[in-house]
Amino acid sequence: MVKYILKRLALLIFTLFLVITATFFLMQIMPGTPFNNPKLTPQMIAQLNKAYGLDLPLWQQYLHYLVNAFRGDFGTSFQYQNQSVSMLIGQRLPISAQLGAQALVVGVIAGLLMGAASARNKNNKIDGLLGVVSTLGISVPSFILGIIFLYLFGFKWPLFPVSGWGDSFSQSVLPTLALAVTPAAVVTRFVRSEMIEALSSDYVQLARAKGLSEKEVVNKHAYRNSMIPVLTLIGPMAAGLLTGSTLIENIFSIPGIGQQFVSSIPTKDFPVIMGTTIVYALMLMVMILITDILTAIVDPRVRLQ
Amino acid sequence: MDTWKKWAIGAAVVVVVGGGTRAAGLWGGSNGSSNALKFSFPTEIQTLDFSKNTDTYSGTIIGNTGANLLRVNAKGKAVPELAKSVKVSKDGLTYTATLRSGLKWSDGSSLTAKDFVYSWQRIVDPKTASQYSYLASGVKNADAITAGKAKVSTLGVSAKGNVITFKLERAMPQFNYLLTFANFMPQKQSFVEKQGKKYGTTSAKQLYSGPYKFEGWNGTNNSFKLVKNDNYWDAKSVKTKEIDYSVVKKPETAVQLYKQGKLDRASISTPELYAANKSNKDKVKVPEATTAYIEYNQTGKNKFLANTKIRQALNLATNRKELVDQVTSGISTPANGLAPQGLAKTASGEDLAKYAAPGYKYDAKAAAKLFAEGLKEVGETKMTLTITSDADSSAAKTTLDYLQGSLQKPLPGLKVEEKFVPFKQRLSDSQTQNFEAVVSLWGGDYPEGSTFYDLFKNGASYNHGQFKNSAYTAAVNKAETTDALNDAARDSDYKTAEAALYKDANFNPLYFRAGYSLARPSVKGIITNTTGLNIDFKYAYRK
Repeated sequence: MVKYILKRLALLIFTLFLVITATFFLMQIMPGTPFNNPKLTPQMIAQLNKAYGLDLPLWQQYLHYLVNAFRGDFGTSFQYQNQSVSMLIGQRLPISAQLGAQALVVGVIAGLLMGAASARNKNNKIDGLLGVVSTLGISVPSFILGIIFLYLFGFKWPLFPVSGWGDSFSQSVLPTLALAVTPAAVVTRFVRSEMIEALSSDYVQLARAKGLSEKEVVNKHAYRNSMIPVLTLIGPMAAGLLTGSTLIENIFSIPGIGQQFVSSIPTKDFPVIMGTTIVYALMLMVMILITDILTAIVDPRVRLQ
Repeated sequence: MDTWKKWAIGAAVVVVVGGGTRAAGLWGGSNGSSNALKFSFPTEIQTLDFSKNTDTYSGTIIGNTGANLLRVNAKGKAVPELAKSVKVSKDGLTYTATLRSGLKWSDGSSLTAKDFVYSWQRIVDPKTASQYSYLASGVKNADAITAGKAKVSTLGVSAKGNVITFKLERAMPQFNYLLTFANFMPQKQSFVEKQGKKYGTTSAKQLYSGPYKFEGWNGTNNSFKLVKNDNYWDAKSVKTKEIDYSVVKKPETAVQLYKQGKLDRASISTPELYAANKSNKDKVKVPEATTAYIEYNQTGKNKFLANTKIRQALNLATNRKELVDQVTSGISTPANGLAPQGLAKTASGEDLAKYAAPGYKYDAKAAAKLFAEGLKEVGETKMTLTITSDADSSAAKTTLDYLQGSLQKPLPGLKVEEKFVPFKQRLSDSQTQNFEAVVSLWGGDYPEGSTFYDLFKNGASYNHGQFKNSAYTAAVNKAETTDALNDAARDSDYKTAEAALYKDANFNPLYFRAGYSLARPSVKGIITNTTGLNIDFKYAYRK
């Protein structure tokens, strides 16, 4: 297991290097400069390029970036004057991550409950209703739900604040719910099909034959086994949620990383684009690694190699 | 089965109780006193380092928490602020400012003439790499210092006691307004150096000299406030103790919050919001000192556009009123010249744009006639014109769509093609003359004509069409030299300049951009400016 993890970590560093290199050179294709003021003349741009070292040959800039990144210095934002990229991401990522984590917890718990309820009531009214709900949840994008929630619970019945973050917990309720619906729906469908399979399996038949109560059969045998595949689903889902939803952050005016990443691209804020890409890649890879390890722990049949 | 029911009931209870207690204000969060003024920004603020700032909304905070030698008053005139007086020499090359006594920073330390010198030096210093260093161009050695060819200490700004002296290389009619600008407000050297790389990145990492102090911004968060600065020299004129600010990104949400009384101002400048709120009695117009216009490539690369009659025909075929109605729902104003409405006033108090307007009009018949003559002169029967515009702006897109349809109709033989490129690409295409015609936008920096009329001087770098209009250049040069200190004579020079542009149809003005806001009528004393500090709360209060 230790050997496996080390191997994966080495691969992770190599992948990161590839991501840095690809992003760095792809960014050069974008037109324009990172300077926002449209009134700058070519001479003034040349002076600014010199001040920021953007006049150096590309390979030198690339090497500088690699060396500095290795030391943990990801540069200073062009858009947010004087703000280092580590500070910029360091302040915004936790906000997105908190929102994502809340949505993940709410979504997964709701999904597990609804999936189990659906499977146990297979083909009756409850199952049908939950089927409709989960289909809607998968097909309606979170930003539409966000706007609907905003209208209903922010303006029509003003129960929750409609914008901002960090002043009170209530500000996070609507965005969390909007983001939680899709994972809840996905998990519901997944758990339902896994449970149905488990409930008709031999070991459940045996448990029933032994005379265990229905509650014990479901909770001890069927449910646990149908949780395993859900784990593989949660990893990548977590990576997606934790790195921030641009549209939800925009609708609810949340100062998260997703919004920041998108606005850094048209302004050509190189250091921020690079820094955010690295963080995203890292999170996705770490989540997948954790999922693999967890799967091995939960399911003794899986051997990591 | 029962378990699931319990869960469902539990979840419902959490939501209801949570919502209910929140409504009862038990979760905290509804910060600020009820009497505070409440405003919002559509984006996060970026920096408080005013030598480097390029962002409008950060500029609003910076301008309300800082003071300069002069401040623009409700009539648009620059009046004494931290300076008791500002005197100008007869040749217009020396300005002498005398500071009031007992000036203080928000931390109680004294504010001196040296803080002004340091700020001017900091913005032109190539190490600072400010994108606005060009505003100082004209002050002795400013350009040389920015280009790295002279030492920062040679800048023509010096302090002696409580007197600051500015030496200029050329007379600058706008210089008084530069003395109101946020970029040139004083900065305390010891403070800036102590904060180092973190200067201006949170509200605690800046000192304030203006009517308000800035509090509660940690560099990321979306709610913060302006609090009255008791160390401000004119604190007795500041009637408001607190102004709460929040970031509300969706304009529709801001309008809803305005209607619920949770904001005192909300922009309705998108065509949809404007249409929905047109008849609201709280509606106010917000001019922007920005002109949209078409530049024609007159380098000779395109023989059609080198022909004056064809350019005149295109200008006459442009229906500016209809364009404004269709593209902006009538929010903006049809352009009648280069310098926009609301930019500046003439010596007699009239709007400069109105005074200098040379008479742009829509005349399809005259346009068709001139177009036919022009085509004959270049020996062709038809013409294809490619117009470039921004792909990343919906206004730019609809403008070009409108132009394509409306120019072709009155001008038989003309085919207009659209070319959409990203904003940054358009800028670089314009600078390298890689266009036939391009839709450009220009916003003024200060409330004086030269911020626009400098654009099209012979050889000027913003003259992307590279036309040479000697009558125009001569008039603008006269305004900026011999008439620099004579307001009335300068107005008439600008009028001559507009007429020269009109005669040769060197460019095609489209519209003066404007917006609308909903503004709480009970909030009085707000000063809005089209350049510089866009909204000034010094005298603002709730009645």
